[in-house]
Amino acid sequence: MHYLSSLYLPGAVTLWCALIFALAALWGYVQALRGDDSAREFARRAYGFFAAAIVLTAWVMFILLLRRDFRIQYVYSYSGLDLPWFYQLTAFWAGQKGSFLIWLFWGALLGLPLRRAARKAEAPVMGVYLLTLLGLLFILVRENPFMMLAQTPPDGKGLNPLLQNNWMVIHPPIMFIGYAASAIPFSFAISALWRRDTTDWSRRAFPWALLGFLVLGTAILMGGYWAYTTLGWGGYWGWDPVENSSLIPFIFATALIHGLYMERTRGRFRRVNFVFAGLWYMSVLYGTFLTRSGVLADFSVHSFVDLGISGWLIGLMAFFGLTTLFLLITRLRTIPTSRNEDPLLSRGSFLMLASIAFIVSGVVITFGTSAPLLTAFLKNPGQVGPDFYNRVNLPIAVLIAFLLSLVPYLKWKGTPLKRLLRAISIPAVLAVAAAGVAVHLGVTNPLHVAFVLLAALALGTNFQRTAGLIRRGALRQAGGYLAHIGVGMMFIGFLASSAYDHSTKVTLVQGQPQQVGDLNLTFVRFVPHTTPRGRDSMLIKVVRPNGSTYNAYPEMFLNQRTQQLMVHPHVRTLPLQDLYISPIEFDPGTAANAPRQVELRQGESTTLNGYTIHFVRFDLHASGNALAEMQSGKPVTVGAVVQIQKGDGEVQELHPVYRFFPNGDAEAPPVQLSGGELVRIGAINTSASAIHLDVVGMASPQKAKPAELAVDVSHKPLIQLVWFGLYVVLAGGLLAISHRLGLALEPEQEPT
Amino acid sequence: MKRRYYYILGVVLLIGFAGFALASFRQTLTPYVSFDAARHEGRTVQVAGALVNNSTSYDLDSKSLRFTLKDPKTGEELPIRYHGLRPANFDDAISIVAIGTYDAKRQELAAAKLLVKCPSKYQGQEVKTYS
Repeated sequence: MHYLSSLYLPGAVTLWCALIFALAALWGYVQALRGDDSAREFARRAYGFFAAAIVLTAWVMFILLLRRDFRIQYVYSYSGLDLPWFYQLTAFWAGQKGSFLIWLFWGALLGLPLRRAARKAEAPVMGVYLLTLLGLLFILVRENPFMMLAQTPPDGKGLNPLLQNNWMVIHPPIMFIGYAASAIPFSFAISALWRRDTTDWSRRAFPWALLGFLVLGTAILMGGYWAYTTLGWGGYWGWDPVENSSLIPFIFATALIHGLYMERTRGRFRRVNFVFAGLWYMSVLYGTFLTRSGVLADFSVHSFVDLGISGWLIGLMAFFGLTTLFLLITRLRTIPTSRNEDPLLSRGSFLMLASIAFIVSGVVITFGTSAPLLTAFLKNPGQVGPDFYNRVNLPIAVLIAFLLSLVPYLKWKGTPLKRLLRAISIPAVLAVAAAGVAVHLGVTNPLHVAFVLLAALALGTNFQRTAGLIRRGALRQAGGYLAHIGVGMMFIGFLASSAYDHSTKVTLVQGQPQQVGDLNLTFVRFVPHTTPRGRDSMLIKVVRPNGSTYNAYPEMFLNQRTQQLMVHPHVRTLPLQDLYISPIEFDPGTAANAPRQVELRQGESTTLNGYTIHFVRFDLHASGNALAEMQSGKPVTVGAVVQIQKGDGEVQELHPVYRFFPNGDAEAPPVQLSGGELVRIGAINTSASAIHLDVVGMASPQKAKPAELAVDVSHKPLIQLVWFGLYVVLAGGLLAISHRLGLALEPEQEPT
Repeated sequence: MKRRYYYILGVVLLIGFAGFALASFRQTLTPYVSFDAARHEGRTVQVAGALVNNSTSYDLDSKSLRFTLKDPKTGEELPIRYHGLRPANFDDAISIVAIGTYDAKRQELAAAKLLVKCPSKYQGQEVKTYS
């Protein structure tokens, strides 16, 4: 009973109902598989109730967050009174439990159309799919998100300020649509293997695989865009384990959609597609394990803290992994497959090479991300940095660009070299010109030159092919080519913006123009925030080489609740590059002979012109008892113990005081050091337990010191191609989905 | 027969690539080491420890953050120097990971990157440090 009373029942009960309905649906589908047709209808209805219960559970959590009901531990932990409603929404997926809930939410919803789309394979596919959902559901029931606190706190702990960003409102839920969709091709594959009915699954699963692929890709780049525009470290991809754990499933998804294309049009890859579907889903589970179990706690900038679910996750991986492996071993050899008789210069051979490239890349990234686990058996566990991933993936990307560039004009039965060259002659000339421009602009690494050449060629040939198809009125078949145009753009964007960005760290003195590369920067002034939730920013005037001017406003502010210093870069987008200005450090400077201000937390020390200033502690008994005076409404005196040492001289201990009066006035008499220097308390920050000391005479004679701002100024060439390329890939992908969905919904047929 | 050569070539290329990947892996691996080992290792390593109370100082002139880490097991201490922005939640950290190389002349670890681990205040910790 104690457990029950610590739960918020409306939420907990709907969650338990969901579990019961899911088990009922599973039971119904199992009965249907045994030939009981009436059970199918029961199972469908149970699934409907299950989905409704999950939606309701999410809705309850939603309302609790919007009502800021801090009785609920989850609401208390991730939200607060200071947040506007849309960031209360972000709090939904700010923690582990909520993110499992949103994952399950999408999973339950995707199952509704899947029920119908699976057609005659409904029972086995839904059975496997329900098993994948049950894995998540068990975790949630165990780690109930509706735990209540014994008392209702007045305010929550607040949301991590880095997540208080518009992109964080939509990026995580989209990522979880991708994770939820990853289970669908897997369910088709497992049920096909299980039932030994392996001819039709590829047609039914194809649109779902495309959906998962597109959503994952979009979510990954959205996360990159968030990092780029808010974090200020200058990039959009850091090869961090959390990033990799969504990239790896995406790469295996890429392998699967190409494999399914091969199977549907050429009848090959009937066996290996099962492996691809298995790898995709297993990599989702493995990534979840790596980032949620705490095994990488010391290696990632953003690993989740261990919630005690490692055992569950390992159990899930073992269950699905071993089942998949068992089915592959026992069933794979019985699947008929056609021999590879395609010549090397044919679409089939190129698709095979591309698939190998995808798998190798996925495996290598998995290997790198697992480095802390792999090396834990050796003496010193370690991790690999971005260098590793960049180095090993560059040759793979060059190979993929090469394959991409020729594939639009390769026929399944092979294309003679001469004809191929004639077909790509115009794009080839343009690509050589592009590579020439790249060399002229300073690209010297031969692998980079080759990459630019091939990516440009891929862009050109796929564009030419897409245009040709559109002219012939066959737009529906152009999805793949259109997507490949976008990939060509993104490849060029990746290389240019990462390998050829120029970054300069520079300290700007207020009012003094300074030349930084071809830009002229002047730090004009500090712009304090005007609204309560506003942010301080720095006004920098930038003069570009052509004489045009713009004002950059990089932000630098203290989050009022957490006292964390937040930094947001300013990004100026030009046609061929972004100008990226990120603040590093701000020194407000001092007026002539004005006291220098020193901010010190309790226990901290700093040096100032040869003086070492150490703030030892607060003294609440400097004059009477400060706490008692505070309650009785009398003037309150807070003292501080400060130790100051000049050079190697004697340490002097000072006891400056700060007196608050009930009418809001305050006084802080200065105290003197033996050398005549003065120290007084300028301000007290109780929440950070810090003081501001005003010191006079420690620098003699004092001149005015202007404010200084250290910034990082970088040029990101062609980075817009990354984002624009994504739109093109998305357009192509949507076209492919509509094409494949049409085919998947057709009645039974033999593959063509 | 020709097809067979393609397969052999493919396998050779794959093995070659595996070797290349393994070599890159070994070269770029930054091992976790003890403070003592960090002092003798010439290459980039990472160390983890708890922030020693009162050890933090921010030098306004050279704009560098200096602090000392303490190994919770051995009690050993190691001074760290870090140029750049103080990570947002540096002061709440229960554990700090510093990645960098040891500067024998100044007897401190010059950190290129800091990972800050906080108490479970924010589970979904996403803090990119400036490196």
